Amino acid sequence: MFHALVSIKQVPDTTNIRIDPETGNLIRQGVPTILNPYDAHAVASAVEWKRKLGGKVTVISMGPPAAVSSIRECIEMGADRGILLSARQFSGADTLATSYVLASTIEAVHAEDPIDLVFFGKQAIDGDTAQVGPGVASRLNMPMVTYAIAIREVNTDERYAVIERKTETRNESIKASLPAALTCEKDIAEIPFASLPDLIASLRYEPEVWTAESPIAFDPAQIGLKGSPTTVFKTGTPEKHVAGEVVKTVDVGVETAVKMVLDRLAMMADGNTILGMVRQ
Amino acid sequence: MTSKQTQNGKIQFDVIVVGAGLAGSAAAAVTAQGGLSVALIERGQAPGAKNSFGGALYTHSLEEIYPDFWDRKPPLERPVTEAGFWFLSKDGLVNMTVRGGALGRQPADAYVALRAKFDLWWAEQAAQSGAFIIPKTTVTDFIRDSSGKIVGVDTDRAQGRIYAPVVIVCEGVNNLLTLKAGLSKSDLKPKAVALGVKQLIALPADTINARFGLPDNSHGLAVTVAGDVSMGLTGMGFVYTGNDCVSIGLGVTLEELAKAKIRPYALLQRYLNHPAIAPLVAGGRLMEYGAHLIPEGGWNDMPKLYTDGVMVAGDAATMVNALHWEGTNMAIIAGKEAAETAIKAHRRQDFSGKSLSEYRERLSKRFILKDLRQYRNLSRFLENHPTFMDVYPNFLNDALGMFFTGYGKTKKDLYGDIVRSLTRRRPLIKVVGDMLAFGKAVMGI
Repeated sequence: MFHALVSIKQVPDTTNIRIDPETGNLIRQGVPTILNPYDAHAVASAVEWKRKLGGKVTVISMGPPAAVSSIRECIEMGADRGILLSARQFSGADTLATSYVLASTIEAVHAEDPIDLVFFGKQAIDGDTAQVGPGVASRLNMPMVTYAIAIREVNTDERYAVIERKTETRNESIKASLPAALTCEKDIAEIPFASLPDLIASLRYEPEVWTAESPIAFDPAQIGLKGSPTTVFKTGTPEKHVAGEVVKTVDVGVETAVKMVLDRLAMMADGNTILGMVRQ
Repeated sequence: MTSKQTQNGKIQFDVIVVGAGLAGSAAAAVTAQGGLSVALIERGQAPGAKNSFGGALYTHSLEEIYPDFWDRKPPLERPVTEAGFWFLSKDGLVNMTVRGGALGRQPADAYVALRAKFDLWWAEQAAQSGAFIIPKTTVTDFIRDSSGKIVGVDTDRAQGRIYAPVVIVCEGVNNLLTLKAGLSKSDLKPKAVALGVKQLIALPADTINARFGLPDNSHGLAVTVAGDVSMGLTGMGFVYTGNDCVSIGLGVTLEELAKAKIRPYALLQRYLNHPAIAPLVAGGRLMEYGAHLIPEGGWNDMPKLYTDGVMVAGDAATMVNALHWEGTNMAIIAGKEAAETAIKAHRRQDFSGKSLSEYRERLSKRFILKDLRQYRNLSRFLENHPTFMDVYPNFLNDALGMFFTGYGKTKKDLYGDIVRSLTRRRPLIKVVGDMLAFGKAVMGI
């Protein structure tokens, strides 16, 4: 029997998001929340393999009570069990504290029902850190495959999976021993359109709610704001990139082309450094 | 929340309501309050998600469904404390609005609403009453038994059949199921629908108060804009003030729009650039840009309202009164009356057309069918009397303009000029004819 666990996050729908021009912070008020899109694809992949191999999919999420709707969405896609980690003490967590809570939770689930694969989305679209998946995997001392685009094989008897991942230059196939963790690109699986009975079951589904004390007594020093050494000094929006000018060297001659490049570099804010390097 | 699942795994409810808009959620709530199990099926991601609307809701209809309406903290925008008409000429505006008096009542008779917010809340109230909301699911057809009787609906999902002996169709203007039930004989006609295009423009509340002359945030404006709004096409504009946004747009008949080959956004842009309109929304941030069909055919285009196992309410049943901006209230009350009829039909265990004809009887006793019948010739009045689009709004602007600039002129000459500014455009005898025609259309004679 195959057991997949997917760690998901409810995030603000960044297609609708605005940035406060004065503070540079996200305006979260009134912004609808959605299941992090990469996580949705991770759930879809887990469910695909459950349907191939037989078994179950457990979904966990740390978040406010309203995150129930994202867990329901996973149930709708075919997940079997949902655990919501929700308590005031969890709030304000950075990726370190989050990975502690998730890793401890995964350990507890694993103890009662051994897990073969732990799925994450490649990153959450609100924080974009891509740190939680690897953080959990290293806490659990599990092989970690990031940027997964396909699962080629899962062999629960010989205890391995073959996972294809994207790198900047090419794709790699990784054979990892189970249990293994992976962070997923959207390519990993298509989001299924649930059957009506599955949809109705998800609408009625109430996930288990785990608090900071029960069933796991988390170390208060490692959770929430207390367990988060990260301090955000300032957030801001990156400058808009403007398309560069394309000039053919054959049209203007090499000398002019080089001069144009140097002039442009000189105009840039940190141009002097680059210019110095170029001149050397 | 009880659907009676039978042993063979059939999904079964007492009543199915299609579409979680104003009519649908009202119908589902009343059905559930009557002790029946009801599925409210919505194709959007959530109720309200598919909605595009800039207008008002009417207190009487909301209170009719929930007498404790105000305690439920509805997400409404400003009350309508000033209402009326603006008549646009090419570069001027005559303002005919009323405020204070009946419009000063609290709670007000009408409230501006943003439907994406309101419909979600409205559906939640139905869920609290016990309705079971099934979102993200499109009803594609009816299920019929071997005798052809409708026994439920099919959806776009696998194993997507839902069974119920009675279906209340609140599908909105796009009347696919109304057609499939045989209640309408033909598809929507381009001349019987208007295309509404609008922008929702964010402005600080104080700016809105200053620009529209509202004393504070608990006062709001709703106007119909007539005259030079739609580049000569038959149409009317509107302006509604929200808490910190202005909903502004216009409706034109689809047929004329297609014939004139004018793009809807060009029409809207032209209207928003009108010298009397532009300063009202200047500097605002565009929040929403939307277009939606409005069924303005009224009585003459109304489908049959019921048949064996099916009733239809709201936009799908052309329940719109363009002159009074009524439609939201008709939808809500029709939804309620359909639900009451469904409850009675369950008591009788008779879902035939004959049993469901009670729905039409109920509507005919109320303003809904009475008004729509009375206004049956008004829906196409503008189309047949284009003078109301240009001659009269221009005359009004000219007449008042001359009256208030006729200083030092003999008043005999002034009145002569004013009368000529009308007769130059339209002979007096025709003016009299126009007014009589308007009166007849309004009185329904």
